[in-house]
Amino acid sequence: MAVSLNSVWKTYGEGATAVHALAGVDAEIPSGEFTVILGPSGSGKTTMLNLIGGIDDVTSGDLFVEDLNLTGLTSDERTAYRRSTVGFVFQFFNLIPTLTALENVELVTSLTMGNGAERAAAVLEHVGLAERLDHFPAMLSGGEQQRVAIARALAKSPPVLLCDEPTGELDFETGRLILDLLRRVNREENQTVLLVTHNAAIGDMADRVLRLRSGSIVEDRHNANPIEAGELTW
Amino acid sequence: MTPLHHKLLRDIRAQRAQFIAVIVTIFLGVTLFAASYDSYQNLAASYESTFTEFRFANVTMSGGDVAGFADVARQEPGVDSVELRTVGDVPLQMGGLKLLGRVVGMPPDAQPSVNQVRIADGSYLAASDTDTALAEEHMADHFKLAPGSTFEVLGPTGWQTMAVGGVASSPEYIWPARNRQELLTSPDNFAVVFVPERLAQVIVGTDGPNEAIVYYIDGVEDEALTDLLLAEAASRGATVSFARDDQPSNAALSEDLKGFEELALFFPMLFLAAAGMATYVMIGRLVHAQRPQIGVLLANGFTRRQVLSHYLGYGVIPGLIGAIPGAVAGVVLARVITGFYTEMLSVPSTLIRFYPATLLAGVAFGLVASILAAIGPALLASRIAPAEAMRGSAPAGRGRPSIVERIVPSLRRLPVPWRMALRGIERNPRRTLFTVLGVVLSLTLVLVSWGMLDTIVNLMDKQFVQIQQEDATVYFAGPVGTDDVLALQEVPGIAAAESVLQTPVVLVGDDRYESILTTFDSGTAMHRFFGDDGRERPLPDDGLLLGGAMKGILGVSAGDSVQLSVSGYATEARVAGFIDEPLGTAAYASRTYVETVVGATLPATSALIRYDEGAVVDEVRAGLVEMDGVAAFEDANALYDTAQKYMIFFYLFVGVMLLFGGAMAFALIFSAMSVNIAERTREVATLLAVGTERHQISRMITAENMMVALFGIPLGLGFGYLAAKQAMASFESDLFAFDLYIRPSTLVVSALAILVVALLSQWPGLRAIGHLDIAKIVKERSL
Ligand SMILES: Nc1ncnc2c1ncn2[C@@H]1O[C@H](COP(=O)(O)OP(=O)(O)O)[C@@H](O)[C@H]1O
Ligand SMILES: [Mg+2]
Repeated sequence: MAVSLNSVWKTYGEGATAVHALAGVDAEIPSGEFTVILGPSGSGKTTMLNLIGGIDDVTSGDLFVEDLNLTGLTSDERTAYRRSTVGFVFQFFNLIPTLTALENVELVTSLTMGNGAERAAAVLEHVGLAERLDHFPAMLSGGEQQRVAIARALAKSPPVLLCDEPTGELDFETGRLILDLLRRVNREENQTVLLVTHNAAIGDMADRVLRLRSGSIVEDRHNANPIEAGELTW
Repeated sequence: MTPLHHKLLRDIRAQRAQFIAVIVTIFLGVTLFAASYDSYQNLAASYESTFTEFRFANVTMSGGDVAGFADVARQEPGVDSVELRTVGDVPLQMGGLKLLGRVVGMPPDAQPSVNQVRIADGSYLAASDTDTALAEEHMADHFKLAPGSTFEVLGPTGWQTMAVGGVASSPEYIWPARNRQELLTSPDNFAVVFVPERLAQVIVGTDGPNEAIVYYIDGVEDEALTDLLLAEAASRGATVSFARDDQPSNAALSEDLKGFEELALFFPMLFLAAAGMATYVMIGRLVHAQRPQIGVLLANGFTRRQVLSHYLGYGVIPGLIGAIPGAVAGVVLARVITGFYTEMLSVPSTLIRFYPATLLAGVAFGLVASILAAIGPALLASRIAPAEAMRGSAPAGRGRPSIVERIVPSLRRLPVPWRMALRGIERNPRRTLFTVLGVVLSLTLVLVSWGMLDTIVNLMDKQFVQIQQEDATVYFAGPVGTDDVLALQEVPGIAAAESVLQTPVVLVGDDRYESILTTFDSGTAMHRFFGDDGRERPLPDDGLLLGGAMKGILGVSAGDSVQLSVSGYATEARVAGFIDEPLGTAAYASRTYVETVVGATLPATSALIRYDEGAVVDEVRAGLVEMDGVAAFEDANALYDTAQKYMIFFYLFVGVMLLFGGAMAFALIFSAMSVNIAERTREVATLLAVGTERHQISRMITAENMMVALFGIPLGLGFGYLAAKQAMASFESDLFAFDLYIRPSTLVVSALAILVVALLSQWPGLRAIGHLDIAKIVKERSL
């Protein structure tokens, strides 16, 4: 699915203490593109992702995902949108500590499809965790936890996958494995992937790089020949 | 089971200590409700069925023109039956004991149409047996009488031997009260026998019946009819007349029943409120801690309604786990209580039923309490903004010196742990507030039950130690002169004897009130009088001292005059003042005053005596009982003991309540304390990481918790006092004056107990700090 932002503003607070997390952002992201959003801390990357993911409200401007204008959706419509369209991967994995790997994924599949457990197991197998289905998050390494989180996001085959610093908490090797995994599913399922990071090196694997600074896009670049994640170094 | 169900159950298991505490509070509240409410219903039903089955009189009239009254009553369309009979208090002798008993006339061969009896043993009176009586069950139990046993009754021709033909229980004597002024009797001084009517007239010495009893159609109360009949009775010179509600036994039972009903609602509500509080605190904190998890759920497309019901589950599950067994336990307990109670009182007809409504209501109460408690936090959870929730926990407030530190700057020189404790209290107003509330509720629960206990003990002490000064009462067979009383002082073992004259009287002011006038010697040393201000006052020679309740009933104040009628003879008397006595509402006067009003020298009906030091009670009794003219002897201590025995059930109930309250207090404080500690795991881990010693941290947390608990104690004492006052007020009537009295030591001990409980309930949490795995917490990257 294509994502398009038309002079999107996001302002926190009011008056003198107002913070413009996004200040008039325009962007067109075609369906199936792997986009990396770069920028220093506080530049509005997470904000942009949250707006696209429908877990936060646009202050002004229009935000379309395919034909759907997210601005002005009711809370129920927004929930339905999240359920059907987006998958989230967070920096801190955000797994439910009291649920096993399988159950964390099943949490999402049970919402959208009949036989949740089977699908959940299949997705976990796909991310290489077939042996870890019944482990609780505390028993998994960081990389494994993040793979569970990715499996959770992928399980419902969302047309749009949003990843906020998915490697921020991981070591170099593990980080690369995760990025490779993301790139693979992007190609296999033709998902639109938006990946936020402050690590400029990661930009080299993307089809497209957006650079944010103080809530504005300061660079919008296409990679003619993106390299494989396995070849990245930082 | 969906993953959310798993999460729910595992979260509950992870915090089982707190959930168990909540479950226990709900269980206790619901058990208490079901047990006391079903007992109440069983008792009310038992009394009700006794009343219709044994045709318990709707109106009773004693003395005056009872025959004329009966004729009028029979004409009333609502009246089913009217009976005339003879009732009188006469000396009885059995087992070497003389006592003032009661003879009740019954038609031979067939039960009367009003106030029937249940034959527990033997058979009903037959016309052919002129010297056979039915012994009332309390008497039979106490003196171990069975058909064939004998006792003696004092008739006009002297002591006469009677055979027991049967044992009977009666709706009139379920609670063996002699009259409204003498509700507490000991089987050693009051016993009831039913004899053929003809014989009753001979023994009592009347030439016709002296009491009329009226039963309405189906026994159904009819207030207008009752008012009419009571007015008729008054106009025909009744010395005592009452409606069914005021019949002494029934009035005492109604008080009891009313108390049961009050307790059946008041205590469980208090408990469930506490349970609700604990649930609210726990789920509120859970939601707070799980904000990021809620964010994840919402981000993944869970609806707000799904989140709402998920968090309601944290209330519903403990609610059900506590309420269902609670209701069942309560219903079972109610059967035991009712059985025990009706057995103890010998209620003629016991109806123990299963009330499904109580079971359902119990479960519903528990569930409603926990849902109400969960709804706030659950709504909060469902309204969380996901983006914000996942940005990390909300800032925990700015750090700054606490208000107390700013007010008292020297506090800033306290050691760091103390300063941290002070600031912690202020930084977490919610946590502080709920700990304080936990302490307040716990103290309230404990004080209400303990306050009732103290009040009763105090009441007994007031009546039997402070007010009544005699060691024993000697009743005479007929009126005697005061010289005869003085002569008792010559009996070995007796140090002093004073004359007493007791007469049923009717006092008339705005309204009429039937009471007993007790005449003491001026300056009596046998009875002390306390005014409504609590101060002792002498017995006046210029008027009557009336029980405080009469002030309102008669609408008079000190100095006014009232009409005083004694067996139809009326005179004016002056009210000298009012007194405060816990049991009954009586009238007192000095012999000097009454003799002035009557214009004649008065006899004595009984004597109050004081023993010589070292006198043996049994010997004094034996000596007195031998004497002619002495009808009965009543040892004051024996009566006190009986009174205590009657209170056993009450003590038991309050004791159980105190136990429940204590358990509840423990559960409440335990949950508050353990959450206090659990919530700061991360803070503690950080402190440990920078090298703070574990015992320092323990001390800091303890200091903070104890300061908060200390703050709650005065509030809890105040609130508990008010709640106890409220609880006692519901028992107040002209029969019992229950002024709340809480011993200072009770306040101190309950406050200390709460502190100790608070201190102890920190233990598991603090122990957990000892085992805290810093690495794990720091590594913990899931939510
Ligand atoms: N809920 C909020 N309230 C106030 N300011 C916020 C809030 N969320 C984000 N901000 C501010 O918006 C700006 C952008 O934040 P964010 O999108 O998280 O940046 P990034 O992800 O690039 O580090 C920052 O200055 C941040 O402080
Ligand atoms: Mg960010």
